[in-house]
Amino acid sequence: MTETLLEVKNLHKTFDHAEVLKGVSLSVMPGEVVAIVGPSGAGKTTLLRCLNMLERADAGELVFDGEHYDPAGFGRREASKLHKKTGFVFQDYNLFANKTAMENVTLGLTSGRGMNRHKAEEIAAEMLRKVGMEEKSDRFPLHLSGGQQQRVAIARALAADPKIIYFDEPTSALDPELTGEVLEVIRKLKDSGITMMIVTHELSFARDVSTRMIFMEEGSIIEEGNTREFFADPKNERTRAFIGMNVDGTEKEEQ
Amino acid sequence: MNVWQLLIESFPRIILPGLAMTVPLTIFAFALALVIAVITAVIVYADVPVLAYIARIYIWMIRGTPLLVQLMVGYYGPSAFGIKPNGFVVAVIVFAINEGAYCAETIRGCMEGVSKGQLEAGYCVGLSYPKIMIHVILPQAFRAAFPALFNSMISMVKDTSLASNITVTEMFLATRQIAGRTYQFLPLYLEVAFIYLMFSTILELIQRRGEKRLGRYDRDVAGS
Ligand SMILES: Nc1ncnc2c1ncn2[C@@H]1O[C@H](COP(=O)(O)OP(=O)(O)OP(=O)(O)O)[C@@H](O)[C@H]1O
Ligand SMILES: [Mg+2]
Repeated sequence: MTETLLEVKNLHKTFDHAEVLKGVSLSVMPGEVVAIVGPSGAGKTTLLRCLNMLERADAGELVFDGEHYDPAGFGRREASKLHKKTGFVFQDYNLFANKTAMENVTLGLTSGRGMNRHKAEEIAAEMLRKVGMEEKSDRFPLHLSGGQQQRVAIARALAADPKIIYFDEPTSALDPELTGEVLEVIRKLKDSGITMMIVTHELSFARDVSTRMIFMEEGSIIEEGNTREFFADPKNERTRAFIGMNVDGTEKEEQ
Repeated sequence: MNVWQLLIESFPRIILPGLAMTVPLTIFAFALALVIAVITAVIVYADVPVLAYIARIYIWMIRGTPLLVQLMVGYYGPSAFGIKPNGFVVAVIVFAINEGAYCAETIRGCMEGVSKGQLEAGYCVGLSYPKIMIHVILPQAFRAAFPALFNSMISMVKDTSLASNITVTEMFLATRQIAGRTYQFLPLYLEVAFIYLMFSTILELIQRRGEKRLGRYDRDVAGS
């Protein structure tokens, strides 16, 4: 029997009087790929950041991998414990600017987890190969395209063998012709069985890669469900409107 | 005595104290200043309780008072307790404390300039705050601060002439002594000016080389 990997209850967050998360609850089973979609300002980024303790929530409960965390009152030690088990891919990559692609991947392993350099480089080389960046492992981020940087960022997130990887709009900072290479990498990750939670504006990609969809609006989850059902038969009026606006009809019917 | 002869004869007598006092004073003081600056900058950047407050007072007091006065206080302060301090040691310490305050602000400013995303990415790969400082934030801040720090150092080479006021026989005092004996003020002061210029020029060359080396990750090396 598998245990729930992530369970969050009643997550609240307010930014200067604006309630951005209005009591969000959700849970994720190991191996699931959850795509979160919704209009701009819905609170998707904030949710992801609160789940990974990059942002302090105002209230809520978080259980991850069988352990309780306090998403509102955590300290550095508690956050660090969580970060050892998760990976995060940012919209604007955030590769360490002073480190090569290789060093970006090894740093967390050596300095964060005390792994010896040789072993870390072995793992990093393998991760960079997975994302097709092994040839450019000694380049600095500035000398990589956005798509290449994002692929290195994914390798970095993968390196420590996390239980889940969060993606916050991994392709929205990219030129359209570069999104494909990054989406392809994520698609391949799905096949390797890793649990992922992906915020994205690319509905067709979400539909293609996810096992479950979550639709958020104005700080609440409006609808969630199995990806196939979500697209074939959205229950909520707003979900239907959102899907209708973002995917054209032909695409909606296939599969 | 012919002026040219005087200049040639006095040259070693000026440059030797330069090499024996001005250069070591600058090197020791600046190295110590950098240590003070990094610690202070990190304390203020991280807003460490109490310490950040003390650090701000330190910066405020040092920047708000003349270096010459600080040297005097450093030299005559211990005398009040019956200790006769060594002028060179006092100079190193006072210059370090003075320069440390300015460099702290330079470095802190550059740390603030490193994007928050770098810190967050550090957390996300499992690094502790100190490790992120050491491996990510400080190296980037240093790269950005490098020209300004060198600027401070070049400035300091010249400021060391103030140490003559606390019995340190550096280049300027040596020059003054010769000028007092020979009454050839202008040629000798021009000579010492030239030697300061030489020292500064050497530093500028080092700066240029250093910037090239550090430039690796934020300058475009075509086709690399
Ligand atoms: N640090 C912050 N301070 C103040 N307000 C914030 C902050 N971060 C987010 N917000 C506000 O919270 C709301 C939700 O933001 P969030 O970034 O979570 O939305 P999103 O669903 O990710 O939107 P998008 O699709 O545009 O990325 C927005 O109104 C935003 O302005
Ligand atoms: Mg967002």
